Order: sequence, then C-alpha cells, then structure tokens
Amino acid sequence: MNKSEQEYVVYWQKVVGNESLRIDLKKLKDTVHNVFRNESDNYKQKLVYNLLETVKNHDQSRFFYILLKTINKPKEENFKELWDMLKGSYDVMPREAFINFAYSIIIGIMATYGGKENE
Amino acid sequence: MSEVIKMPSMYETVKSEEEQKHLLQFTGNWFIDVGILGFVNLMEEVYGWDFKTLQKKINEDKEKVYCSYFPFAYFYKWLSDRNQKVNPKLIEKLKEELEKKKFQDNKDLFDFVWFTFICNLFKELWIRKRSELIYQNEAFTKRGKLKKQYYYKNTKIYLQKIGERENIINEILSKHQNEIEKILKVKKDLNKLKYENLEKLLNSNDESISQELKKLIELLKVKHEEIKKFLNEEWENNVINQQKFTGEESLFYRIPIDSGFYKNFLFFNNYVGNLEQKNSFYNAICSNLDEEEMLKKIDKSVNKFLSSEEEFPNINYTELSTKEFKKQIEYLFVYLLCFTYAFEKYENFGYMTFYSNDLEFSYIINKRLKLYKKKIEESRNPNLIFKVTWQQIIDSLVEYKSSWSLENMYIISYQRLDNQTQENVEYIGIPKLQASILLDDTIRENLNNSIQFRSEKFEGNKYCWLLKEFIKGKPLYPIILSHINLALNEERVPNLSTCLYSLILEANISEFKAEKEKQNGNLFSENYFDNYKSLINEIKEDVRFTSFGAGLINQISKDVDTKKRIARELFNALKAKDKNLFLNILLKNMNENKNLCSNTNLNNWIFNKIIKNNISFEMYGLILTMNLLRGRKNE
Repeated sequence: MNKSEQEYVVYWQKVVGNESLRIDLKKLKDTVHNVFRNESDNYKQKLVYNLLETVKNHDQSRFFYILLKTINKPKEENFKELWDMLKGSYDVMPREAFINFAYSIIIGIMATYGGKENE
Repeated sequence: MSEVIKMPSMYETVKSEEEQKHLLQFTGNWFIDVGILGFVNLMEEVYGWDFKTLQKKINEDKEKVYCSYFPFAYFYKWLSDRNQKVNPKLIEKLKEELEKKKFQDNKDLFDFVWFTFICNLFKELWIRKRSELIYQNEAFTKRGKLKKQYYYKNTKIYLQKIGERENIINEILSKHQNEIEKILKVKKDLNKLKYENLEKLLNSNDESISQELKKLIELLKVKHEEIKKFLNEEWENNVINQQKFTGEESLFYRIPIDSGFYKNFLFFNNYVGNLEQKNSFYNAICSNLDEEEMLKKIDKSVNKFLSSEEEFPNINYTELSTKEFKKQIEYLFVYLLCFTYAFEKYENFGYMTFYSNDLEFSYIINKRLKLYKKKIEESRNPNLIFKVTWQQIIDSLVEYKSSWSLENMYIISYQRLDNQTQENVEYIGIPKLQASILLDDTIRENLNNSIQFRSEKFEGNKYCWLLKEFIKGKPLYPIILSHINLALNEERVPNLSTCLYSLILEANISEFKAEKEKQNGNLFSENYFDNYKSLINEIKEDVRFTSFGAGLINQISKDVDTKKRIARELFNALKAKDKNLFLNILLKNMNENKNLCSNTNLNNWIFNKIIKNNISFEMYGLILTMNLLRGRKNE
C-alpha cells in the first residue's frame, strides 16, 4: 500500500553476539491475526486488557509471561507459527522497540474480534 | 487587477555576442543584484522603460544610458522622493537633446547632462537653500571671515540683498512683537527669526493685523522675491547656461543633496562643491578607480551590510577591492547607488524586495507586488504583506512553470538602514522543497489559512498564517497542537481540513527527510534527481487514506462527552510526547467496541501510521484526536 509497509526496522542489537535483530512488524501482526482468529472475543478482550496494562508499565517480562502462557498450546497447530516468530526475536528489547513490538501484537489480536474480519 | 504584465517566454532567441556582453543580468552577489534591480526600477519609474526596452537601449548605446540617462534619473528620483517640485518636461527635453546632439566623449556627455539638466532640476531647492540665510553675519565665522560656502564673485550683492531683507525683519520684530507672536503662534520672545517662521509670515493672510505691519510684510515679500530672482539669475547664468564658475566658487553652487544611506559618500558630502560633486559622480559611474580613492574599497559607506574597513581592520574579508569587480561589472557603482530603489516601502512594515536568481523574474514579481501595495497598506493585518507577496510569487511560479526558478528565492526586508543602524533586516529564503509543494493548488489552498493558536486572553497576535510558517521552514505541528488545545478547552471550532493537510504535509516531509538522511549523504543517489513530484502525490494519497481511516475513530462512542474525554486524554499523551501512553489510552478505549477494533481500515491505519511509525506518529496521533472533536456542535 505505501512505502512504510516494506520497511524492516533494525531494532536492537542482540545481547549475545553482534548480529542485528530485525523484526517484521507487519508479519508479526499478520501471524497474531492468524493464530487468534478462532479464540473467543471475551477471552481476547481480557487478554488485550492485561497486555495493555503490562506495556503501560513497561513490564517486558510480565508481557511475555502472559503472552507465552496464552500461546502455550502445543496441540493447536496455529500457535506454532507465532512460536517460530518469537524464537527469532525474543530478547530484552529497548523501550522503543518493545512498544512497537507489543502494540503490533495487541492490535493484531484486536483485529480478530467478531470472529471474522469486518471489511 | 487591471494591468496585465506579460511573463517572459521560456525560449528566447539566441543573443548575439555583442548583446550578450551588455546583457543586464544577475551576478550571484545579492547586494549587487538588488542594486541592478534597483537600477531597472529607477529607469522605469523616470523614463517609463520596461525591462526589455531598457535592455534594448543599453544594447544600442550603453554609454548614453549610464552616463546621461542614469544620472538625471537618479537625481530626479532623489528630488521627487523628498516631495520637491520636479519639472517632468525636462525628461522629454533630455530625450530630445540626447537624440540631437553629438558629444566628444562620455565626459562631455555627462557634463552636458549635469549642468543643463541636473542643475536645472535643483534650481528651486538651491535657491531655497541660499535664501535661508536670514542674517548677514551668519555668513561669517566668529573671527569675521567669510564662510567658504558663501564665497563667490557676487557675494557682496548677495549679502547686500540679504541685509535689506534683514532690516525689514528687524523692524517687524522690534515694532510688532506681539502681533508676530500671534501669527507665528510662538510664546517666547522672538529675537531672531528662523526661515520657517519667515515663510509663515510671508504666507499669512491674517486680516486682523495692523495696517503698518501689513505694509511691512508686503515690503518683506518684495525683498524676498528679489533675492530669489537674483539667485535664480545667478544659477541660470553661471551654472545652467554658461557653466562658468571657478573652483573656489564651486561650494557656493553646491547641489543641496544629502543622504542618510550614503552619508558623506562622495557627492553627498556637505563640504564638496558643485564641480567636485560632478566629477565624483562621474568617476563613480565609470568606476574610475585612480581618480577616487574612496572607490577603491567598498565598505560601510556604500554597503550597509559590510562593516567598515577602518573600524574593523582585522576582518580581512571586508577588504573588497572594487578593482576585481570592475573587470566583470562595468558600472558597479551605478548599481550600488540604486540599491535602495529595489525596495518598496510599505507603511507599518518597512522596506521589502523579492529576490531570485533571475533578474527578469525578480523584476516581474516586484512589479506585481507594487500593484498590491495599496491593498497591503490599507489592511491592518501584518500578515497580509506576506500573504500577497507569496501569492504573487506562487502565481508567477505557476505561470512560469519552470522549476529551476524555485531555487534561491528570497524576500529581503528592512525597517531602517542608515549610516548608524541596520534595523530588522530579514533575509527569508524559500527552500526548494517548500516551493515545489506549494505549486500544488489543493495543498496550497489548505495552508493558505490563518488559524487561532493562542487563547482569547492573549494580548498579542492570536492567529498564525500557516503558509508563512511553512515557507519559513518552521514546524506546523506545535501550532496545530495549540489550535486543537483551544478547541478542547475554549470550545473553538477547529479548522479540520487545514489541520489535516498541515499535519500530513509535515509528517510526509519529515519521513522524506529521514529517508534522505538514511541514504547517508549519498548525494547522487537514485532519488536525488527525482525531485519532489512523487512527494506531492504521496501527500495527497495519504490525505485520502488518513481522512477515511482516522475518521472512523469517531464511531468509538455516540456520546459527545465521552469522545471529548478520550480526546483530552489522547491530547495530553501527545503533549507529553508519550507514544506508549497514547496507544494505551487509544486501544483501551477501543477495546470495548469490537466492531471498531476489527475494522480493517482503522486497524491497519493505526498500525501503519502510529505503531510502526517512529518518525511522525505524533502528527497522525493528533489527526486521530481532532477527529474525535469532529462535528461536535452541529451533529
């Protein structure tokens, strides 16, 4: 749609090693959208509320705790996609990067309200 | 606008080599260039020649233009600027004479114009100056020596006539003190009369005064006229017709000319006689460096923007030798003298001129501005001058359709310039980026608005004209932020369309600049030449996308007060520049409205413009906030 969509942003330097970590926020959002599509709205609204609280307080560990607990469903194939994504990018992030990362996930979840997308 | 000024065509016929040489064109030095512009203006004002005609005249006979037409025009304008009577018939006469007569050389040509025409122009003023001597003894120093400026062959007769008038004045003062005080409206004892009072007395029509005084005043009038007649003859005979007076008499016949701008510069100097004035003016025109020591250096006496070489000897770059200039610019001093004529005075504002890298373009825009002068002066809005100026520039740019002229455009203005002060000198450039964006009608019209950005209680200027700020390269976001603040707290209706355009414009420019920076100063990267056309398209596309996407936020609630509360919270987060807080408030409030959350348009918009965006999220955040205030009153 516009130029910013193709942008990959270099967010932070990995703690170990000197490889720059890149994260594709759009892909992250889309993945989240896919995996949460079939969950119930009430559950997701509550989850979003909890996640928002942790981001507000810049509480990265709590954020990941809630998130990982939520997606810890080995039986559901869908979540594997998100696991794979997080594997590549999970690390202690600088504040700015964390905000972008967290809200991309949250808005991805929010996009799935109502079961199917409202065009 | 009744007068139509034709724009120059882009393709002009190739000039011959000879023509090229005398082509009036800008040099790249703004001070000299403004002088050239002033020269063109001057010649047009006095002779009615437009730029093209002047160019033609110069091609035909440049000496005639610079050594005869110019000096006459210069003094003609000097006098008319000071509300002195000038005889317009002299212009036609000059044209005729110059066509008819043959001259040996430039000096001969110049001398002819000086005595026959310039001195003729100054006749009235000179007579007035010389008849200002009221008391004979003022012509002498304390030691009883005749002052230099009164030395000439008929001093005796002159002083005798002054003395005769003085006697009558003394008689009036001694016998009719009370009546005189009434006529002149002065309370103090009048021992001596000043020239202004003498004039008042001569022009008084007071019927109530005594017969005796009336008679004396009549007599005074006769004597005064006698002096004027005598001086008139002296000037006509010795200066205009005969051109015969000695070097010693020269000071008596000095042309009474003075200038705050060129204080004491050559012929403006009070202690320089007529012949010296003539020679130094001629030397200045032809830049005869050997003749005039002063011309060797250009410093504060000519250029108010340079410091004086003598005052600041350690600043070596002020040592500008005219020698180098002269090689390239034959009539340098003509232009320097015309510097002030490039500026137009606007009441309540000061002097202003428009300057670009092209003489003809600058000339046309300045000419157009003059047509609006009255309108500008009548208005009390100090912003109008900018509004009109930029409007003219933009109109011309659109008409000109040449993007190169977008570069290097400036408005130069000052309030006062004299030998002592340089007051409020401003040099405002228009960056190319801004100029290109302004070429787009929709964007320009939306920016061409004044919006309130300060509270009603504020005593100064509460409004801000966005176009001006934009041209100056200043950020619009803080102004819009204050404007929305007023909408939130003082119930002002915000100008949403203008705000939307301003914010998107700024957001796109900052992204564009960031993109450029990212290329790490790769001057000649692919994008370098792709100017700003694509940027304009992006801005317009963004306006469409954003006004729809962000507009959806209005569905967050049906309750006006709830929306206002959310708007206020979001606004505070923006004020604190806190992206996290902003998103938190936004998403928390949206979370209850499932339909809104899953609306792809709004969802994607928030993701793209705010979450992913580290450069301009504040601007988009503000757009979102102001959309919550939409139609509050009328809905």
